[in-house]
Amino acid sequence: MRIEQHPILEFDRKEKITFFFNGQEMEGYASETIVAALHAAGVKELGKSPELHRPRGLFCAIGNCSSCLMVVDGQPNVRACVVKIKPGMQVELQSGKGDLK
Amino acid sequence: MLINTGIPTKEDLAKVDPSAERLAQGPVAIVECFQEIPCNPCVDACKRNAINIEGDINGLPIVDFEKCNGCGVCIAHCPGLAIFVIDKTYSESHAVVRLPYEFVPLPEKGQLACALNRAGEELGNFEVVRVISGGAKNKTTTIWLAVPQDLAMEVRSIKAPNSAPNIQNSAPGLQSSPTDTLICRCEDITLDEIRRVIADGYRTIDEIKRVTRAGMGPCQGRTCRQLIAQELSRHFGIPMEEVLMSTFRPPVKPVKLGSFVKGGDL
Repeated sequence: MRIEQHPILEFDRKEKITFFFNGQEMEGYASETIVAALHAAGVKELGKSPELHRPRGLFCAIGNCSSCLMVVDGQPNVRACVVKIKPGMQVELQSGKGDLK
Repeated sequence: MLINTGIPTKEDLAKVDPSAERLAQGPVAIVECFQEIPCNPCVDACKRNAINIEGDINGLPIVDFEKCNGCGVCIAHCPGLAIFVIDKTYSESHAVVRLPYEFVPLPEKGQLACALNRAGEELGNFEVVRVISGGAKNKTTTIWLAVPQDLAMEVRSIKAPNSAPNIQNSAPGLQSSPTDTLICRCEDITLDEIRRVIADGYRTIDEIKRVTRAGMGPCQGRTCRQLIAQELSRHFGIPMEEVLMSTFRPPVKPVKLGSFVKGGDL
């Protein structure tokens, strides 16, 4: 879901681009963060929590908490709520604290 | 209390309301601003210098009701939507409340709108007599609502047309337990675990951090610190200000180790 009409803000979404979520091709707008694009596509689970392995979704949405840490282009612990999507970006669910390969 | 309910009390309002004599003279601005925060667009918005702030920028605005002519420019300039203009001279039976409105769809002139008080309670349907767009830069709309004279000091908002009925605070059947409630999201520490260590005798945020790891994850306590302080405050019956805060150290946000070596993007 995207907000189409807002009383105060204007959205300059920019062009449509393609990225990948767990290998699956997804569309989003160039102005969107990874999480915004995933939410619009219906993906709300962003990873599993490190100890209890519970599904994690968006929590603070401003880069404060650690709820949206994802693996982006092979790099773990990327705050997906504040990083914008790029064409061809590979976004993956992160389980636990992430590994550096 | 305002700080707990978000609704100003009679005593709060008595500090900002103009006199009955001034209200009888014509439109006048009322700034229902009660929180000392660094904010002052209202001061610059007023071309008649009728709004001033006491002391530094954190001070509360004070309206000089003799200088104010009720033009209403300040209404759309207040980011907190706290300014209203009341015109008790509109007609014998009705007063006009000019209020800021930031929802879509906008009501139209001549339509009836459901008036709300400061607590969000419905006060009846009244006529919208004017709708003023804030312009391209400042999009806050000012709505003029003609309300019965005795409601002029009560009506402070309108309900969006065709809006959904009031949403209940929690979904029915949804219950949380201390074993399900997460306090530290980074380390998966539940409220139950925090309560257990407090019962064991740990009494500061730093002690709890060292024994549970709450606050040692990627967010560095930004989410759990306040929640643990709240729990300590409740357990020991002390105000939040008296809970000993943990030590703050840089970096304030996660930084890649490589950035320390090579520099570059965080």
